[in-house]
Amino acid sequence: MGSFEYLRPASISEAIALMEGSGGRGVYIAGGTDVMVLIRQKKIFPGCLISLRNIGDLAYLNTASGLAIGSAVTHNAIAKNEFIQKKYTALTDATNKVGSLQIRNVATMGGNICNAAPSADTACPLLVLDAQAVIAGKDGDRKVPIDDFFLGPNKVALKPGEILKGFAMPAFNGRTGSAYIKHTRRQAMDLPMLGVAARITIRIDGDEIGCKDALCTIDNISNILRRFEDEKLVCEDIRIAMGVVAPRPMRAKKAEEALKGKVISEALFEEIGEIAASECQPRDSIRGEAWYRRDMVKVLTRRAILRAVDRVIRPDDMIWPERLW
Amino acid sequence: MDGLKFVGKRIPKKDAPLKATGEAIYIQDLKVPGMLYGKILYSKYPHAKILKLDISKASALPGVKAVITGGDVPNNFKFGFLKDNPPLKSGKVLSTRDEIAAVAAVSQEIAEEAIDLIDVEYEELPGIFDPIEAMKEGAALVHEEFPSNVLKMPWKFVHGDVEAAKKESAFIAEDTFSTQWVTHCCLGTSGCVASFDVGNTLTMYSNTQIPSLAQGDFLEALKAFGLKNKRVRIIQTVIGGGFGSKLDTYAYEYIAILLALKTRRPVKIVFSREEEFLATSPRQPTITKISQGCDKDGKLTFREMAMVLDNGAYTSWGATTPSVMMVPISSLYKVPNIKYTAKCVYTNNTYSQAFRGYGNPQATFAIESCLDQLAEKAGIDPVEIRRINANESGEVTPQNFRITSCGMKDCIEEVVKRLDWKNKCKRGNGKGVGMASLIHVGGAARVYKSDGCGTIIKVDDNGKVDVITGASEIGQGSDTIIAQIVAEVLGIPMDDINVINNDTDVCPWDVGAHASRTTFVAGNSALGAAQKIKAQIMEIAAKNLGEPVDALDMQDGIIFSKNDKEKSIPLGKVLRKAHYSLGGRMLVAEHFYDPPNENFDQTFRGNLSVSYAYGAHGVEVEVDRETGQVKILNYIAAHDVGKAINPMLLEGQIYGGGLQGIGYALGERMIYDKGYLKNGNFLDYKMPTVRDVPPVQAVIVESDEQAGPFGAKGIGEPGLVPTAPAIANAIYDAVGVRIKDLPITPEKILRALKEKEGQKA
Ligand SMILES: Cc1cc2nc3c(=O)[nH]c(=O)nc-3n(C[C@H](O)[C@H](O)[C@H](O)COP(=O)(O)OP(=O)(O)OC[C@H]3O[C@@H](n4cnc5c(N)ncnc54)[C@H](O)[C@@H]3O)c2cc1C
Repeated sequence: MGSFEYLRPASISEAIALMEGSGGRGVYIAGGTDVMVLIRQKKIFPGCLISLRNIGDLAYLNTASGLAIGSAVTHNAIAKNEFIQKKYTALTDATNKVGSLQIRNVATMGGNICNAAPSADTACPLLVLDAQAVIAGKDGDRKVPIDDFFLGPNKVALKPGEILKGFAMPAFNGRTGSAYIKHTRRQAMDLPMLGVAARITIRIDGDEIGCKDALCTIDNISNILRRFEDEKLVCEDIRIAMGVVAPRPMRAKKAEEALKGKVISEALFEEIGEIAASECQPRDSIRGEAWYRRDMVKVLTRRAILRAVDRVIRPDDMIWPERLW
Repeated sequence: MDGLKFVGKRIPKKDAPLKATGEAIYIQDLKVPGMLYGKILYSKYPHAKILKLDISKASALPGVKAVITGGDVPNNFKFGFLKDNPPLKSGKVLSTRDEIAAVAAVSQEIAEEAIDLIDVEYEELPGIFDPIEAMKEGAALVHEEFPSNVLKMPWKFVHGDVEAAKKESAFIAEDTFSTQWVTHCCLGTSGCVASFDVGNTLTMYSNTQIPSLAQGDFLEALKAFGLKNKRVRIIQTVIGGGFGSKLDTYAYEYIAILLALKTRRPVKIVFSREEEFLATSPRQPTITKISQGCDKDGKLTFREMAMVLDNGAYTSWGATTPSVMMVPISSLYKVPNIKYTAKCVYTNNTYSQAFRGYGNPQATFAIESCLDQLAEKAGIDPVEIRRINANESGEVTPQNFRITSCGMKDCIEEVVKRLDWKNKCKRGNGKGVGMASLIHVGGAARVYKSDGCGTIIKVDDNGKVDVITGASEIGQGSDTIIAQIVAEVLGIPMDDINVINNDTDVCPWDVGAHASRTTFVAGNSALGAAQKIKAQIMEIAAKNLGEPVDALDMQDGIIFSKNDKEKSIPLGKVLRKAHYSLGGRMLVAEHFYDPPNENFDQTFRGNLSVSYAYGAHGVEVEVDRETGQVKILNYIAAHDVGKAINPMLLEGQIYGGGLQGIGYALGERMIYDKGYLKNGNFLDYKMPTVRDVPPVQAVIVESDEQAGPFGAKGIGEPGLVPTAPAIANAIYDAVGVRIKDLPITPEKILRALKEKEGQKA
């Protein structure tokens, strides 16, 4: 490992100034869990590391309108946040399963997104939660929809020197649920073979949605959904995002369109899964074969939507322990 | 009650506090004055001519003290089982782990930088990566000096008449099974410090698991390097896991020696994790054709197996695993007719070595998977066919193994009971159960001329005991076991016993930590030495107390008369009296235990082990039909261990073995693509994590092996032997597909399920 300077600016503007002065040899470092690996693998040779850890303006978590999260908030802080667990559950699903506890305690969501691996776990949740990337530059802040932020593998829409300040997500109504399913070969310390996130808002004419009887708390969601058949739950809004099946995390827009406005049923989700699978472009790699990944998009899309629906119908912590994991 | 105070008790490992606090000195921690850091350059290609090797830039880098290449290896020295492996390769490389140059520098960083400055030009040659291709007539030769890629090894065992038995069998099942490369994943990577003194005595600080044999290997190397009649001393640091990976000497050790000789300074080489994946030797892949038959009642009639093993480019113990494979092949269940052949084949892949089980897991995967196939054909429950054919005490097997104690049936019944087999099998709801049994050497294994281990016990004036043993502590707990045995015999507290085990200048000979032999052999050796020293102590005490020797006993460090409890004397006092008197004496005893087992004869018959270990694993799985993922719901590992000297450590071996077996069954594999290792890191090599640990019940079945120390047999390896077939069988029970090549990935299951659906449609 070569040697480098380690700088610790106290503000965003100071960090940007240091980066400008580094003559192109500076690299921002947040948790360092991607940066240090790249340095040790001799893939990057920074002259100086500019730490973002002491900058309070990157560490906010604000729920006044929608959700605003600073880029330097760690995965574990996000995973433990009860508001996020209730309202932006897909993010909880994702941050809970990044690496290991040690990684989650230092690694940040900003780092995850700026590193922009096709396998970045928080990418799909942010896509389905309509997040905007808030970017700070020399000349002030700008906002970019997260879908436009990813340009390709390890490529994002940051201009030289710019810092990702954080993420802004809108508020969703109470008939909204989200989920992220990470498909792995082992239960921890694993990157996803693929990941699928979904957010759904459901409408039911004239009534509150919710399970009213005791059976609801123990039965599985497929059966419960069947019992709702007569009530004609309608998909008011839907987002589906897939990771590791294309050069960058992507929305399954055709699948979304096919579901929006329809009366929901598991059979329909099955079809939606097929459409999503037709939209992705998985590759063969040592981490997984393309045919398998495509197949899994089918399965996991259905399961992710189902889980999101479940979270609308049964918004009770007790019945989805995986959220508490 | 058996009246035992230490043996059979759950006593924590002696070295646990050292390891838990970080005080233990591993090879990674070791610094020797004046030490340099060595680093190795490996080949870029699996098969190539070296056209140019320019070390001038590396040599000129400040801080670099030596750069060596193949030309610096004196006398064409080669090492390994067939002496086909030069520590540094010149002219031609045969695999991507081929060492072609090495550097010694004043820091690790400079050594690494120097390696990057070595300029190599290659001419790539086509390689052979498939052993089946390599066996074909006219295939290019990996070693041009040998007539064939098939190693000249005599692996063949024949018993009875398989052809006749086939004709008489009511049912026959046959199939082909294959296994993958897996590696040991020791937390402590390999490493050494080589150091010469002015008289050219070589001291190797090492984490080897074979100090005595390594000493011999290095002596031979010194001779080749022109240093005749020198001495080699091996000092073992604390060892962070072995599992067979440190059962042979490696090129890096000879390179460290050469660099130390050249620089006249100690040289340390420690593997990075990536090197550990690339340059240590894994368990080899096998392709096994098997057929087994039974009569109409389910009694086995024959077993025929033909195996091909990918040896890789050089030869280490991997090429000898067919010997241990023969144990289950000839003797797992009662089978009257056996035919087995194995071919080890050179390829341009990594070369293989010993790994926990030493071939047994590969063989058992085929045998036990195929046994379920046979049971199905015969319409017999998988448990029933195992009951019918189970091994028994008193049996003499086709290889002339004399089975003294056998708890196999008990193990099977434990699995059946705890898994609730009757209610859990054939449910057809995506959940299923499976089982598999095992036999392994449990009372050492005479693979060398000697299978012995020595112990010296010395008692100081204060009643404290030093036990100097040949046994290597590689994390398995041999120190604790040995101390328990000595404490039991002498009747003194564990804390009064110090085990010294890490220095060939001090410790007696031992053949190494392999073959699940340490508790059995080193334990018996310690037992013998303890009895001898006790006799000496009692003899002196008898004089002091005026009582006959057989009236005396010792407890908690006090010697007393069984007739008259008033008559007692502390151990320390007896010793001081013996010591501080005219013509005084010191108290030392030694005992060499070499078990009464036999080498194989030319036909591979002979009682390889004094006793045999048995076990059965049962597993309940749930298979996700949509994703192919397998979840283990329940895991029962029942082992006949003779006697558990320390149930806690023993369970540790079973849990660890089981989990390693689960990794082998469901996820671990080294992905070699045309000679290149594609996943040499823990991200892509899917060793299970703590989150993947299923509920495991370790069931200890005691069969009281007369030849073992306090009745104990070996348990080091058995824990992972039947794991993969038990899981494969459970998956079959759950969803009706049989996966015949390891690891059983979700992709393979899903593909098989689709094929099955397709067939139905
Ligand atoms: C053992 C291990 C396991 C892992 N497991 C997972 C996993 O399961 N899932 C997963 O998705 N990832 C995983 N990762 C990758 C990594 O932990 C995540 O991507 C993490 O979120 C990166 O965050 P960080 O704060 O450590 O980023 P850093 O390493 O500090 O930075 C990453 C990149 O982003 C840039 N950057 C960081 N913050 C900013 C900012 N505010 N503005 C501009 N640029 C910025 C840096 O310059 C760098 O290029 C794992 C890594 C390790 C080492």
